[in-house]
Amino acid sequence: MAESEPTFKEFKDSFAYGSRSDLSFKFLKNLGSDEAADFFQELLWEIGEAQDGGDLGRVLDSVLRWQVKAYAPRTGAKRRWVYKDAPFARLAKPLAESRLGLLTSSGHFVSDDDPEPFGVAGMTQGEAEARIDEFLRAMPYLSVIPSETATELLRVRHGGYDVRSVARDPNVAFPVDRLREAVGRVGGLASDFYSFVGATAQGRLRNEALPDWVRRIRDAGIDVLLLVPV
Amino acid sequence: MEHAGIPTLSIYVKAFRHVAEEMGLSRVVVTPYLMGRPLGPPGDVLGQRAIVDTALDLLETADGPRTIVEMPARDGNERPSLHKRGRY
Repeated sequence: MAESEPTFKEFKDSFAYGSRSDLSFKFLKNLGSDEAADFFQELLWEIGEAQDGGDLGRVLDSVLRWQVKAYAPRTGAKRRWVYKDAPFARLAKPLAESRLGLLTSSGHFVSDDDPEPFGVAGMTQGEAEARIDEFLRAMPYLSVIPSETATELLRVRHGGYDVRSVARDPNVAFPVDRLREAVGRVGGLASDFYSFVGATAQGRLRNEALPDWVRRIRDAGIDVLLLVPV
Repeated sequence: MEHAGIPTLSIYVKAFRHVAEEMGLSRVVVTPYLMGRPLGPPGDVLGQRAIVDTALDLLETADGPRTIVEMPARDGNERPSLHKRGRY
């Protein structure tokens, strides 16, 4: 039997961990087929406009509008992580005397301290993408990154998002150079920064991992913490 | 963290602003970038610095939780879609 032509739905869904996996566009799976068709039509139109006007920004803006739409909660959908209480801590001392910490879900680690997920040394980004379902069930692992680590020694691996930008410049999600420059305005940096792969078991992250992480961060004398979820 | 007395600052991309709102985070900067690029394009030192500075500003200006600042597009241009489906 001849192989049947893929449907448009199969095509647009294939960007999310399928044959055309592209994590910058996995949001297409969240769009209905009509919406995804509108996305492609608008994208091509804006490329035409960009050619005439020389402003590629309008292409990016179009993608951003559709990404926002694709991740917006659907009307009536049950939301799992909604918190009524909103705790608010104030700085205990002036910012210029405070120690700043960093915790990101970007999946950074130091080159000679690979967390080796599932016991695999040197796992590639492609392998991490292929094993995303395992990551989503696994206990998160916190990588400790001394804040004085040379930026070029930082590595990244994360099966949940397109790491091209952060591979080119860690500061895109792990702004270590920018925090170093902020010393003066802030009193100093924590001796260690932290990162983990945010595509992980969310319940275990909250209930099993976080209490220990909070303790660590408090014990490290961190006065204010910058969080960068990816 | 805030329960433990540690003030936090968070940097979110626009598509996940609703997540920050649902979680009741205290001080949030929302950036006009795609998922995976919370501080914008690689090598954009000035843009990255502006985002970190805006986050630090919130330590001085935020009076309570759920304080969210949305950064404008880097070049300040608004570019609504020019595509008029079915009318061309």
